[in-house]
Amino acid sequence: MHEARRIRPVLIVLLVVAVALITFDFRDSGASPVHTIGADVFGPVERVAGDIASPFVGFFHAASGNDSSEISALQKQNDQLRAELAQAQVSKAAQVQLEQLLRLSGSGGYRVVAASVIAAGGEYSDTVTINAGSRNGVAPNETVLNGDGLVGVVTVVTSDTATVQLATDANATVGVRMAGTRQIGAVSGTGQTMAGTNDLRLTLFSATATLHPGEEIVTFGSVGGRPYAPGVPVGEVVTVTSQQCALTQSALVRPYADFSGLGVVGVVIPPPAKAKATAHR
Amino acid sequence: MIARRALVCPIIVFLAVIGQLAVVNRLPLPGVGKPDIVLLVVAAIGIAAGPATGLLAGFAGGLAIDVAPPGGHLAGEYALVYCLVGYGCGRIRDLAQGSSAERSAMASLTVMAVGVAAGEAGKAGLGMMLSDPNVTGPVVKHVLPAAIIYDLLLCPFVLWFVSLTVGTPASERAPEPQFPPSLRLAPAFRLASAGAAPRLRLAGTTPPPVPPPVRTEPRLRLAGGRSSLSPRTNAAFSSAPGSALSGRPTPRLNLASAGRGNQLGGASALRAPARLQGKTPGKGWLRPPRQASRTVRQRRSPGKGWIVAGKPAAAGSWQPKTPGKGWVRPPRPPGMTTWRRRSPGKGWIVAGRPATPVNWQPRSPGKGWARSPKPQAAPKRKSPGRGWIRPAASGALAAPAFRRSSPGKGWLRPAAPPPAPRIKSPGRGWLRSAAPGALAAPSWRPSSPGKGWLRPAKPPPAPRLKSPGRGWLRPARPPRQNWYTKGPSTRWLRRGRRKRLLLGGRR
Repeated sequence: MHEARRIRPVLIVLLVVAVALITFDFRDSGASPVHTIGADVFGPVERVAGDIASPFVGFFHAASGNDSSEISALQKQNDQLRAELAQAQVSKAAQVQLEQLLRLSGSGGYRVVAASVIAAGGEYSDTVTINAGSRNGVAPNETVLNGDGLVGVVTVVTSDTATVQLATDANATVGVRMAGTRQIGAVSGTGQTMAGTNDLRLTLFSATATLHPGEEIVTFGSVGGRPYAPGVPVGEVVTVTSQQCALTQSALVRPYADFSGLGVVGVVIPPPAKAKATAHR
Repeated sequence: MIARRALVCPIIVFLAVIGQLAVVNRLPLPGVGKPDIVLLVVAAIGIAAGPATGLLAGFAGGLAIDVAPPGGHLAGEYALVYCLVGYGCGRIRDLAQGSSAERSAMASLTVMAVGVAAGEAGKAGLGMMLSDPNVTGPVVKHVLPAAIIYDLLLCPFVLWFVSLTVGTPASERAPEPQFPPSLRLAPAFRLASAGAAPRLRLAGTTPPPVPPPVRTEPRLRLAGGRSSLSPRTNAAFSSAPGSALSGRPTPRLNLASAGRGNQLGGASALRAPARLQGKTPGKGWLRPPRQASRTVRQRRSPGKGWIVAGKPAAAGSWQPKTPGKGWVRPPRPPGMTTWRRRSPGKGWIVAGRPATPVNWQPRSPGKGWARSPKPQAAPKRKSPGRGWIRPAASGALAAPAFRRSSPGKGWLRPAAPPPAPRIKSPGRGWLRSAAPGALAAPSWRPSSPGKGWLRPAKPPPAPRLKSPGRGWLRPARPPRQNWYTKGPSTRWLRRGRRKRLLLGGRR
């Protein structure tokens, strides 16, 4: 009992500190410098630990995934072909117009930095840490993708690591475009992706547009390629959930990327000069 | 213990944080929800190490999870929840454990399960309170049960691991000798007193069948004495299995006034006859018998020990030194002319020294007390080494005649081994033979009370009435000071309560 009485001030102090931290972070909407400090402290350790644990986790993925490696290989090929098809459709629809729209005219110039996931957030957050940082040229608000499609966007960057907010995070909203009809809309995450269902919610801005299951969705792109580079495949429409009397069309989108088993990802780094020029224009 | 915790706890928490972020969160576990290793570790630390450590570990682990790179929630959320969980688990453990001294693994596990479930609910609730878009009602409804189930499945393993590494609080407490029921002191003493020491028994037990004819003082007599002095002891010896006691003088433990007409033993020693220069027996309580033919001798306090062996009959060159930690010392063999009282060192009950008439060594040779330098000089009456009643050299035990005189490895034991083998050397300093490692039964080792027997730091609670608590064969305060300079214990002795306690049934 004496011990309890002695540590009660410590308890109160720690609770007050925690509440203060929550308050500051809440005011900065989760972007307080505390996270940067923590990333600086824990980043290198996580990098080492993630590299060590990657074969282990990969083994679990292989064990828990499809039993036959042939099936997984075929599925991978299928995904790849589907992504190519989506790209081809985009190109075919309006290549020149799209290039203008996406500010992709000219020599491209996008560079992709490969990185691998070394840590992941808890059950209530859809964030991962990759082992590429500012030393590799990664900066905040850059698109992260993998071979299947869009993964997310970089939020916090340290010298060696970067934190990626997945597209399925409830805080993430991605501007998208229907690959076929070129209707634009927004895709937002529904949360709990790392743990289970990873459907996205699509809302089209046009009230007259129609949605059909199976339609491909690509990113619309942002100014300077930040936070989202244009033309990255996101997923396909699974279910149309809009009501008849709804003002806008909405649907559930199944992303191409497997967010529960992220391995190697790429960070799209827009060319600085290009971004500056386009921003100027 | 504190240093170990200060070293181990941060390591465990740090490893848990890294493992949670780098491994567990990435595992494609079935279902929604993931086990929270950090929460489990924090709860286990709170249970194993107390609320203060759990509080600090919880705050540190939660803050690390908050600010470590993947993040995904506000800084301070998990720190708040985890430090409450760590503190609460330790607190509940303390409260639940308050009355019962023993720690139940099931109770700890229950507390941990409750704490972990509350922690998961607290995480979800705090996220919803802070309007985290990732923590909404439907999400929590799916994630929370799965996360709790995962955590409960991992509870025993984490608790076991943390208890193993951090250490349970039971080990931080004072060493409490836990005697198995079959090895409590009373049966041990009864067993011993059946053969070797019929007078050494617990208060309240049945008195020896034959009261000593001459001695009026309470006595404790260990081992066989001379036949002329203690026929009753000899009878007891001869009745013991395997011990055919001959007339040879054997080392003996005379507790209290074993001598004829002794005025020094026990309480009478405190009365301090004038020719004893008014000295009190010091901490020793049961003093050796005074020899009738003794002239003037200095009666010093026997030091920490309180049962001192009988003194030699011829006290010409008697050196009344304090026996040190030794406790029960055998009487001097009959024909011994010179007898030196030395501290028996670590040993506790020391056998009688050989009768080395002229050239006994003035110092104790090494660890053993009275390790007789010349085995040839007194082959039968060798001095014991470290152990208690033991020949000087272990090899000398081969002589059966000598074995009868010194019980050797066993404690309070005639030549034949006692039926209960666990009464063998109980550990350091307590009635121990020379080679403790080979002889100490492992079951005894945690129960050996440390340096001295009959003066454990904390006596076992259960046999307090019978076991060597304060009232039994021991002064109220064992050796720490010269208690005979203090009033109360002396008064306590003068009241004759010792007699009543020692010879409980014979009052």
